[in-house]
Amino acid sequence: MENSKKYSLRFVLENYALYIIMALMIIIIGMMSPKFFSLRVLRDILMQSSTRIIVAMGCMFILVSGSADLSGGRTVGLAAVVAGSLAQKADYYIKFWPSLPEMPVIVPLIAAILIGLLVGLANGFSVAKLKVPSFLATLGWMMVAYGANCLYSNKPPNNSQPLGGFLKSFTDLGTASFLSVPYIIYIAIGVCIVVHLLLTKTCLGREIFAAGSNSEAARVSGINVFKIQMITFAIAGVCYGLAGCLEAARTGSATSTYGNGYEMDAIASCIVGGCSLTGGVGNVFGVFFGVLIFNVINYGLTFIGLSSYWQYVVKGLIIIFAVSIDMRKYRRND
Amino acid sequence: MKRSILFVLIAVMLLSAVSVVSAETPTAGVIWYNFADTFIQNARQTLLNVAKADGTVEIVDADSQNDIATQTNNINNFYTRGIDYLVLNNINTAAISEIVQKAKEEGVVTIFANTDSPSDEDFANYDGLYLVSSRAPQSGTIMGEAAVKYWKEHPEADRNGNGKMDYIMLLGLTWHYDTQVRAEYSIKAVEDAGIATNQIGGEVVAEYNRGQAQEKVAALLANFSDDIDIIFACNDDMALGAIEALKAGGFFKDEASFLPVCGVDATVVGCDALRDGTLLVTSLNNPVTLGKAIYKTMYLLENGKEVTTETLNMKGATVEGHRIWLDYTAITKENVDEAAYDITDTTF
Repeated sequence: MENSKKYSLRFVLENYALYIIMALMIIIIGMMSPKFFSLRVLRDILMQSSTRIIVAMGCMFILVSGSADLSGGRTVGLAAVVAGSLAQKADYYIKFWPSLPEMPVIVPLIAAILIGLLVGLANGFSVAKLKVPSFLATLGWMMVAYGANCLYSNKPPNNSQPLGGFLKSFTDLGTASFLSVPYIIYIAIGVCIVVHLLLTKTCLGREIFAAGSNSEAARVSGINVFKIQMITFAIAGVCYGLAGCLEAARTGSATSTYGNGYEMDAIASCIVGGCSLTGGVGNVFGVFFGVLIFNVINYGLTFIGLSSYWQYVVKGLIIIFAVSIDMRKYRRND
Repeated sequence: MKRSILFVLIAVMLLSAVSVVSAETPTAGVIWYNFADTFIQNARQTLLNVAKADGTVEIVDADSQNDIATQTNNINNFYTRGIDYLVLNNINTAAISEIVQKAKEEGVVTIFANTDSPSDEDFANYDGLYLVSSRAPQSGTIMGEAAVKYWKEHPEADRNGNGKMDYIMLLGLTWHYDTQVRAEYSIKAVEDAGIATNQIGGEVVAEYNRGQAQEKVAALLANFSDDIDIIFACNDDMALGAIEALKAGGFFKDEASFLPVCGVDATVVGCDALRDGTLLVTSLNNPVTLGKAIYKTMYLLENGKEVTTETLNMKGATVEGHRIWLDYTAITKENVDEAAYDITDTTF
């Protein structure tokens, strides 16, 4: 009896540590300032998480398939600038493409997704065909994406200025609401549902997990690992492109510095959310909360007026704590 | 085998291409801290344009990618290559004296550009040392003075009636010189005017990033919406992020819901916000003036002239010894057109 109690406490701690930390943080912040328990705060946090959730979903595909992806952040930046450059009002005085007419919001959206897809395919080809380790291949394409972004935004008449003068239909994508819930939250949740279905209900999903757990075994059992790697990087790229477009819409601007560091946030969220760096493990729910916990920290600690310096410390400690608990869990399972 | 021959061939071609460049015209090796920085980009392009049009000094430039080690490599590469002028947008602010000493040994005229000034001892040590830089504290003072003016003209600006100016300070990078002086001198200007201040939210670091500023201000608004009197931001992008968050929080709907937000840089989107009546003030550190002042300093030296306020003859530039100071211009809704500059203009 004594033993099983101990076991269950341990079980709960190991499996739900993330949720316990998050609940504790919310309770503590709420006790310091009860205003924290409001719909406004919930909406703000979900809104701030939404683009990062989409980036993390893309990143999760890569991690599950056993690779790493450092290109996420800069791809978001490139997609944001490309989307922004196609979403300006016709009469804006330093329009990026002066001769282009005003276009429906679908054009910048598709363009951003295609840019993301392009970087994803480049990543996938380098990893799957050229056999460059994913860490390096994506580092390389990260630099290419950033350089391309700087070159693109430096095009006269823009000359590296932040892009502005966006159409309302475009900024609405990131700021307007339906039933007092911002569109951007619906989009993020939609992406989560699609990713969840893809990973758990399709043959492709099972193949991705298989390739991630043991690519050699997967290959021997007839899975086309080349195809799987191309597809996972392509899907990730699409997620980054979409996130970039939404980031521009949400902030009403875009520059070549956008998205810097998002890849690391995404990887941290995935790992904290239960993905394994060695591949084959990960679920949408965990990653969703992995992103959320970082945004609760960001938002909550700013909300109570705690200096940004402390926020870095708390974030770092949570990553280490969460992963160490995770490692214990796997060690014991071995 | 074939590949390695090809590689060697390419390498030889590249090397010879580099060495062909400098024949007789003196060469300036220019090192910028980060090509991706909008301001640097514009100053760099101006310098290249002016040099190309004039032809007295030839420019080769390098990007430190915001990394001190890369900057050090760039300096060494230029010395190896052979240059007559070194223009350094220095980020290794802890090693100024060492950099100056090395330049003296190499016999290269060195211009520190838009960075911390070398000390008086450094200037005494090496006669070929110059500084061309904006007076960074001015950008903070301009924000502070605009805040004081607004505060005095609008008694309702003290929103919670505590007699203090309750402010949020959005910091860029805390180790960054511009962030430090902008945060310090804006508040100094307010306090010098006899207004008590109260900081809300502690050190709010948003890394010069619009999205981050938007998120931080949204969080602070959710808790301190009735207390915040004013927002200072160490650049325009963060100021605009703050404005987005304020809009979402019900501000800027009419005159009564205005909240003063101050920025720095006078970017295009910043000036749009001035015209819209959301941004209160920003200030311009004109990259064209910087690029031209650097070039003109080399031009004067090359022609054997002394660099003085008179010989330099540029608006907003004053020369003190070997230090050439460039003024920030306060930009508000009234004079927003002064924020425009033309990087293709090659007159100097």
